[in-house]
Amino acid sequence: MHLTGLDFLFWAVGFVEYTTLLLVLLIRRRFRMFPMFTAFILSNLVRTVALYFVSVYGTKASYFYSFWSLGILDTIMQLSVVYEMYSHTFRPLGTWARDVRGAFVWLVAISIPVAVALSWLAAPHARLWMQVVVIRGNLFSSACMSEFFVGMVVLAVKVGLPWKTHVARISQGLGVYSIIDVLIEAGHSYFGVGRNTQTYTALSHIRIAAYLSCVAYWIVMLWRNAPDTRRLPENMRGQLIQLQNLVDSDLVMIRGRER
Amino acid sequence: MSTRTVYFIVAVAIFILALTAIAAYYYRRWQKSSQKNWERLLKRLTAVDRSSIAEVALDIIDESGRRRKDEASAVLEPSEISKLVGGLEGLEAMEANCAVLVDLAFYVQQWYPEAIVVAEKLRLSAREIEWHLGRLRSAQQTGKLEGAFTMYAQPAVATYYLMTRQVLALYEEGNLAMLADLRSAL
Repeated sequence: MHLTGLDFLFWAVGFVEYTTLLLVLLIRRRFRMFPMFTAFILSNLVRTVALYFVSVYGTKASYFYSFWSLGILDTIMQLSVVYEMYSHTFRPLGTWARDVRGAFVWLVAISIPVAVALSWLAAPHARLWMQVVVIRGNLFSSACMSEFFVGMVVLAVKVGLPWKTHVARISQGLGVYSIIDVLIEAGHSYFGVGRNTQTYTALSHIRIAAYLSCVAYWIVMLWRNAPDTRRLPENMRGQLIQLQNLVDSDLVMIRGRER
Repeated sequence: MSTRTVYFIVAVAIFILALTAIAAYYYRRWQKSSQKNWERLLKRLTAVDRSSIAEVALDIIDESGRRRKDEASAVLEPSEISKLVGGLEGLEAMEANCAVLVDLAFYVQQWYPEAIVVAEKLRLSAREIEWHLGRLRSAQQTGKLEGAFTMYAQPAVATYYLMTRQVLALYEEGNLAMLADLRSAL
């Protein structure tokens, strides 16, 4: 299959960036805090290497099926990263904060129909039905991802839960990329995939460039340490635990009165 | 260009603009809240009558925060509670102060991250007061505000009273210099 010098450049940059980010996650021990994000970056690396070899040694059909099956895996991994970021933000005491559970249901109940509506409205010009499915599927997943990340910002601010520094950086990167991806996928749908694939390819290159910029941002941000904090003295820790128990019993008392 | 394509372009444009505007607005709010300093937080506090709050709260709980079961407890009439807390407006002022109380706890957390436990409890208490106020607003719409005061407003006031004491206790443990300012504001 025909691949340009720019395609190979993106592969090379992607390979270097994913490897560097993995090293940052390992050296800085961030993989302990972000196992799913680490697995996601590892899957990016495996995907880059696999697609390179399929493109060089495989057929056009084998590349097509490899590309899209790995694309599905990529979407699943992105969803797991969303879960990980939500988990870090909305489980301050190790369990999901009870006042955000209802909001999650609303978020999913609104996000998915909106993404379905956008995908349904899209009417891409394509030669194969499979290409139509792929374009609509990509638009759906990018719309969902962007909604989930914006929803996370809104919920965190509304309920007053703070973001940890690195959670904020990963979320910002993936959130901004998802919004750009919605535009790119909308462009794919508008211009379609006819005999001339120049526009489709150019848009894909913009998407890859945006994602590689996002990975570069993560490399820098995850290398840096979060701001220093002070250690809580032992006597203060004990007092805080006492205080916590007091608040627990207060809440039980007030709820009891409610009944 | 087909009508469907026009709808699609308009829908994508609205989607992107809405998401970007919402994200930018809330991200700015988040940045502002993480950059707050002590003076700005204090300015956000709305003045409430501390002695009235204590009177309403101590009608159903004792100084340690336990529910009172003696014969002299829970004797305040709905009209008295309403008057003491300043009606629905007074409760809304308390609701606004709850948000500030959580921010104050977060301010301490900036120095001692382990305070997340207390901050989370306070946050949940603030949300509970919001819930009580939601019930009161519903009661107001159906013209049953006064009757609802005992059931919803008094527990909300008691929660608020306990929260203020918890925040003060937290600051006392932290030995923070601005405790005197906080005592006068709360």
